Amino acid sequence: MSSLTQQAAAHQAATVRRRWLLKAPALLTIILASVGPLSVMLVYSIMAKGSFGGVNLGQLSFDGWMNVFVERDPFDDTLVLADANLLILWRSIRLALITTIATLLVGFPTAYYIATRPEHIRSQWMLLITIPFWTNLLIRTFAIMGLLSNQGPINNFLIWIGVIDTPIQMLFTDGAVLLGLVYVYLPLMVLPIYSSLERMDFNLVEAGYDLYATRLKVLWHIVIPSCKPGIIAGSILVFIPAIGAYVTPRVLGGGKNMMMGNLIELQFGQGRNWPLGAALSICLLLIVTAALIFYIRASSAKDISHGH
Amino acid sequence: MSIATHVAPAADRKSAIQTIGLQKSYGSGAATFLALDDVSIDIAENEFFTLLGPSGCGKTTLLRLIAGFNFPTDGQILLHGKDIAPLPPFKRPINTVFQNYALFAHMSVAENIGFGMKMLGWPKEKITARVAEMLRLVRMEALAERRTSAISGGQQQRVALARALAPQPQVLLLDEPLSALDYKLRKEMQVELKRLQTETGITFVFVTHDQEEALAMSDRIAVMSKGKVLQVGNPREIYNAPVDRFVADFIGESNILEGRVLDDAGPGAFQVYVAGTTITAYGHATRGSAIQVLIRPEHVDVLDIATPNALPAEVENEVFVGSDTRLGLKLENGARFTVRLSNSPELDRQRTAGGRVWLRIHDRCARLLGAEHV
Repeated sequence: MSSLTQQAAAHQAATVRRRWLLKAPALLTIILASVGPLSVMLVYSIMAKGSFGGVNLGQLSFDGWMNVFVERDPFDDTLVLADANLLILWRSIRLALITTIATLLVGFPTAYYIATRPEHIRSQWMLLITIPFWTNLLIRTFAIMGLLSNQGPINNFLIWIGVIDTPIQMLFTDGAVLLGLVYVYLPLMVLPIYSSLERMDFNLVEAGYDLYATRLKVLWHIVIPSCKPGIIAGSILVFIPAIGAYVTPRVLGGGKNMMMGNLIELQFGQGRNWPLGAALSICLLLIVTAALIFYIRASSAKDISHGH
Repeated sequence: MSIATHVAPAADRKSAIQTIGLQKSYGSGAATFLALDDVSIDIAENEFFTLLGPSGCGKTTLLRLIAGFNFPTDGQILLHGKDIAPLPPFKRPINTVFQNYALFAHMSVAENIGFGMKMLGWPKEKITARVAEMLRLVRMEALAERRTSAISGGQQQRVALARALAPQPQVLLLDEPLSALDYKLRKEMQVELKRLQTETGITFVFVTHDQEEALAMSDRIAVMSKGKVLQVGNPREIYNAPVDRFVADFIGESNILEGRVLDDAGPGAFQVYVAGTTITAYGHATRGSAIQVLIRPEHVDVLDIATPNALPAEVENEVFVGSDTRLGLKLENGARFTVRLSNSPELDRQRTAGGRVWLRIHDRCARLLGAEHV
C-alpha cells in the first residue's frame, strides 16, 4: 500500500517537473523581456541621479517622481509646478485622443467602403491600405515634412494661386504632428474596423431599411453597434502608439512641440536625469494600461450583458 | 376551414400587391441572366399567398423587389394600386421576415420588436404597449429582456415575426422563414403562421421551396420556374389540375405516362391509349396527338384479377412507411409506376415481387398535361 502511495507521489513530482519544464521558455521570455526591464525601470526611478547620467545605485531618492510634477526653482529653492512636463503630458494625451478620433472619422468610412465592395476588389483595396507599411516610418515622416515646409509644394501652390503671399508656418506645429500621427496610424484603425464590418451580416442592414430606418439611422443604430469591437480595437491600436510617439513629433514638431516619448528620450540623453526618465516612462505605461483596461471592459461588456 | 375556402365575389376582391410585366436581369450582353421574366401576379388583401419553386426559380428575387431591396429592370409593382417600384424599402409599408431572421444581436428581444416603430417615430407609450401586445401574440412575454443570441432558433423565429408585424405593415413578406427549423417545430410554426395571418388580417407573401408547406398554409400558390410564373391557383387546383409536367412533378408525387389520344369521351374527357390499355383522361387535347397523362399514386386501386380499362403491372417492391404502403410497379411498356395505399390492419398483406396486378384509376383522376413550358 505504502509503495503504491510512494509511486503515486513520485509520478506526481515528475508531472510537476515536466509542467515547469514546458513552461520554462515562456516564463524565461517574460522575465527577460518584460518583468526584468520593468523592474530595472522601477528601481532606477527611485534612485538618486548620477552626475553624468545613470543612477547612484543604493542611494534611495524620490526626486525622479517628484520631478514629474514639481521642480525646484533655481533661484530661491522653492518648489514650483513642473508645468513644462505637465504641458507635454497633456499635449501627448490630447494629440493621441485627437489622432484616435480623426483616424476613426477617416477610417470608418474607408473601411465601410471597402467592406461593401465585391470580394475580389476588397483585397486590392486592403493591399493599397497596407502599402505604406512597406516604407520606413522615418522616411514617410520626412516626406510629410517636405510637403509641409515653407518651401514645400503646399505653400508654393497656395502662393502660386495667390491665396497667400508669404508661406504659412505649418511645420513644427501641433497641427503638423497631428497630421503625421493620423497619416501613420490610419491603417491601424481601418484594419480592425474592416474585419468586423466584413464579418457583419448585411441582412441586418436590409432588416434596418425594411423597418423604416433611413441610411443614417441604419448606420447609427445597426452598423456602428455591430462593429463596436472593431472600433474599440482600432482606437486602442491607434491611441497606444500615438501617445508614445517619438519620431513623428521629433521630425514634424521640431524641438518645442515635444510629446512624452521625446521628453523621456531627453532625460536619458542631454538631460542626464535617468530617474525622471524612468518615472516618466512608468507614467506613460500607466496611461496605456488604463486605456487597455478600458478596452478589456468595453469588449467583454457585450459577452456578459445577457439579462443584465 | 370554411373561411379559408370561401372565395369572395370578384367585386369585393381588392388587390394588395400587383406586379405587371415585372422583369429583373443581372449582368449585360451575352452574360445577361434573366432572374424574373415578365411576372404578372395579383395578390389580394388578407391573402396567404405563396411563391413556390425550386432554388434559383426567381421567387426570392420577386420577394426582394416587393420589399425594395432590389429594383426591377422593367415593369411595375403596385401596392393598393399605387406604383411603389421607385420607393426605397424604408418608405414602403411592407415588412420582411428574413430567412436567417436578421435579428439585431446588440438589442434585447423587446428592443428588436420595437425597432420599426421607433424608426417610424411612434410615441414611447404606444411602442411599449404594442411591443407587449406582440410579445403576447407570439407567446414570448417571459423573454422580453433577453438578448437575441440567448434564445433558441424557434424563439428567434417568433421574434423576427413579431418584429415584422409590430409596425402594422400592409403586407408581410416571409423568405423561407421555416427552413432553419427542425421538422416538428416547422409543423408547429406552420399552424402558428396561419393563425397569425388570420388573426392580424395582414396579406402574407410567403416564399418556400417546400411544396407540402405551401399546400398546407396557402390560400393561393404561384408555382415558379426559371424566372416565370407557371401556374397560380389554390392548393387543390395546383395539386389536382397542374398545367404542365413541371408543376405536376414539383407538387406531390406523380406518375406521368406517355400516351396517345384516341377519341373524345364527352366534354373535357378523352380516350387515351397508355401502356397497352385504353383509359379515360381529363383535360385539353386534340384527337390523335401524343400526350402525357398524370396519375397521382393515391388515386389507384390495386386489383388481383384482370379488369377492363385497368393497367396491367408487375410488382417490383413494396415499402411499408407507417400510414401508407408504397408499391413500386413496372407497366407493360417498361415504365415505372408508384402506388400509395393507405394501411389498415384488415387490408394488411404483403405482395411478392414479380406478382401481377391490375391498376384501376379512380374516376376522373387521370389528368392530361399541357405541353411543357420551356
